[in-house]
Amino acid sequence: MKPHSGRLWVNYLALGLATACALFGLGLLFLILYDIVSHGLTSLSISLLTQDPAGPLGRGGLKGAFLGQGLLTLMAALVGVPLGVLGGTYLAEYGRDKKFSKVIISLCDLAMSLPSIVIGIFVYSILVKPLGGFNGWAGSAALAVIMVPLVMRTTESMLSMVPWTLREAALALGSPYYQVIIKIVYRQAASGILTGILLAIARVAGETAPLMFTSFNNNYFELNLNRPMPSVTVSIYQYAGSPFDAWIGQAWAAALMVTVVVLFLNILGRLLVKVKKA
Amino acid sequence: MSHEPAEAELKDLITIEELCFFFGDNQVLKNINMPIRDKSITSLIGPSGCGKTTLLRCFNRMHDLYPNNHYEGRIRMENRNILDKGQDLIWLRSRLGMVFQKPTPFPMSIYDNIAYGLKLKKITNRSIVRDLVEKALRQANLWTEVKDRLKESALGLSGGQQQRLSIARSLAVNPLVLLFDEATSALDPISSAKIEEMMVELKKDVTMVVVTHNMQQAARISDYTALMYLGSLVEYGETNDIFTRPKMKMTEQYVAGHFG
Amino acid sequence: MNLKKLPNSIFYFLTFLSAVGLVVLTVGLVVTLAVESRPAFQRFGFFRFLLSTDWNYTDQIYGALRPLTGTVLATLGAAVLAVPVALGISVFLTELCPHKLKSPIAVAIELLAAIPSIIYGLWGLFVLAPFVETYIQPFFSGTLGGLPWAGGFFQVRLAGGLNLLTASMVLAVMILPFVASLAREGFDQVPEVLKESAYGLGATRWETILAVVWPTAQKAVVGGIIMATGRALGETMAVAYVIGNRHGALDSIFSPYVTITSVIANEFNEAGPIQMSALFALTLALFLANLLVLSLARYLMRQK
Repeated sequence: MKPHSGRLWVNYLALGLATACALFGLGLLFLILYDIVSHGLTSLSISLLTQDPAGPLGRGGLKGAFLGQGLLTLMAALVGVPLGVLGGTYLAEYGRDKKFSKVIISLCDLAMSLPSIVIGIFVYSILVKPLGGFNGWAGSAALAVIMVPLVMRTTESMLSMVPWTLREAALALGSPYYQVIIKIVYRQAASGILTGILLAIARVAGETAPLMFTSFNNNYFELNLNRPMPSVTVSIYQYAGSPFDAWIGQAWAAALMVTVVVLFLNILGRLLVKVKKA
Repeated sequence: MSHEPAEAELKDLITIEELCFFFGDNQVLKNINMPIRDKSITSLIGPSGCGKTTLLRCFNRMHDLYPNNHYEGRIRMENRNILDKGQDLIWLRSRLGMVFQKPTPFPMSIYDNIAYGLKLKKITNRSIVRDLVEKALRQANLWTEVKDRLKESALGLSGGQQQRLSIARSLAVNPLVLLFDEATSALDPISSAKIEEMMVELKKDVTMVVVTHNMQQAARISDYTALMYLGSLVEYGETNDIFTRPKMKMTEQYVAGHFG
Repeated sequence: MNLKKLPNSIFYFLTFLSAVGLVVLTVGLVVTLAVESRPAFQRFGFFRFLLSTDWNYTDQIYGALRPLTGTVLATLGAAVLAVPVALGISVFLTELCPHKLKSPIAVAIELLAAIPSIIYGLWGLFVLAPFVETYIQPFFSGTLGGLPWAGGFFQVRLAGGLNLLTASMVLAVMILPFVASLAREGFDQVPEVLKESAYGLGATRWETILAVVWPTAQKAVVGGIIMATGRALGETMAVAYVIGNRHGALDSIFSPYVTITSVIANEFNEAGPIQMSALFALTLALFLANLLVLSLARYLMRQK
């Protein structure tokens, strides 16, 4: 019997408890993943992607919703990415060390932490109410508002990691600052910024709350952004709340698709950083 | 609790026999044989990457905190092999204190830092703890500087004071051996001199093994010196001999500053 | 000469405009919420609105107290359930996990944090709620429900499994990866040498965690926990289904209730003018609560 066997006992007990917690937590999270996959696969069929919605008894799909979600996300990225990258460039380059930039960085952190429903409500009041109805533009705008601070913040931190001497070396050769930024600094930070963009797209691609009050939903195939725009996530929300098994099944299948896309984008983003490091 | 008075002849407290150490498949210590004499200071010197810190961390089995490494050979101390699989590491580490390159004050008061090791040993009697804390701080030459602020956070001390605090913390549990891993290299010359002075005084109580980059320091404070190179022991002997009458050509070159 | 400088000026101007754009958006958001919620505050009075439990569609009288308490309670409940498990995970990852498994597990946890909340909501509705109804409700009402005074809070008054506890549980599962990741980041900041010097004194792993790791990482970890828990405040899709969205007295943890987000999600699109203004006021309250939590977390995480 060692003189400190009591201490060892406490040690093993506490560490055992931590390990048990870890196993429980990890197990639970993987159980959820398993539930999504198994429920999703049961109802997954090609008609989900090729058919228009049908009544609760028909074999419909969510073709329009998938296209709509893609379109909304694409439009959001077209606006959000340039704004974010340019803004981040100001923070890290022209505005570096300025007090104003520090304020904006704090605002970025605040905007990043905002619940997405708050942004949905905000966009409703500036782009839905005045225009007289739900529309695709508002949905894209809401997603873009979520993206901008995310992209801005990663751009800012990626550019700040590029050593200052690199800029000095290029400036000393006589290139104007904007060319140094575009041709040298951006190139150096490219993979990091791209990862940030991918993660931001992944984040908005699965959003529901900001779309519910902006693009709303639409049972038809719709490419006109002036009209309510169908989306997968809002469809999942509506179908899951319905009493019909066929719709609930489609909600699970769509949820699986959304999960796969979001995880794929996330993994892609992480791989990009890894490849750069290696 | 107290040690036997030092004998005239220094006996071997620790003997290292055929010690090899591996990180994965990479052998970083090669067949080391040497003694550590009781109540003395032994310096381990050699160029960066020679394995001196790795050797130091074998004594208290610090490597066991990390995966993928193993020991071969023996380190004998008090009739046991430190490297035995069944060695009680908690006991071992409380007998061999370690001081690191960077000071490591724990985020608690000065007093609690010193008392921490005592608490681990379940020494809780208030007055005994207070006496032992004072004794340790005196041994580390820190008592007069901190005796009026024992309840203040240890993080408020200067770098040199923090390092002496780390030493006092190790001393409080009455170790047989203190292991110093470049313990003065991050300090200014004055703080570093204070610690050297303290180490020489400490010889009456405790055996010390010191890894150092600073050859003058090894010459000033140690009784025995071992030169290592590429994981092997080049030469071991009394410090005076190593620096003035080295047996090996390599030792002569190294102490003359020709490489490393 | 000036022509040569023009491209640089244009580029500068574009970046500046984008940065200012963010300021305009945030300020615009606050102003919009304030303007839109004014009718409700005027009609009901600022404090009367905040402290009233009314939610009456026929008389058009709305008060914020129930959604506010619902939001706070659901979030606190989620924190109580998630934080111990998350701490266990982060301690396991930083101190116990074999090195080879460490980063795969950490990445897996971060990936789980990326799964959209609608997915967690779906899972909560079809997997968790039935589980709560069949196993957890009978267990608690059969045991704690018999307590003399507090027992009522554990009795089942409405069947179905859609209630405050289920909402807290879904939120807990959702924030678990966030809390675990942020807590792990806090623990990872503790220098290896500090831990080694505790081991060097003969401390066990657990004693090292208590003496060195926790006190050193404490503020960063607590800040991270608060920040991650803050996400539960505004979580919508995960809560909207499972809380039951019923404006009634909260008499049991197994009663359906409301949160700010559940009310907005369920009622916004069909709301009359004054009700909508009340919903904007709730959104404003959510914004402020979020700001408060974020500031607190930042403050703690910045402290050394």
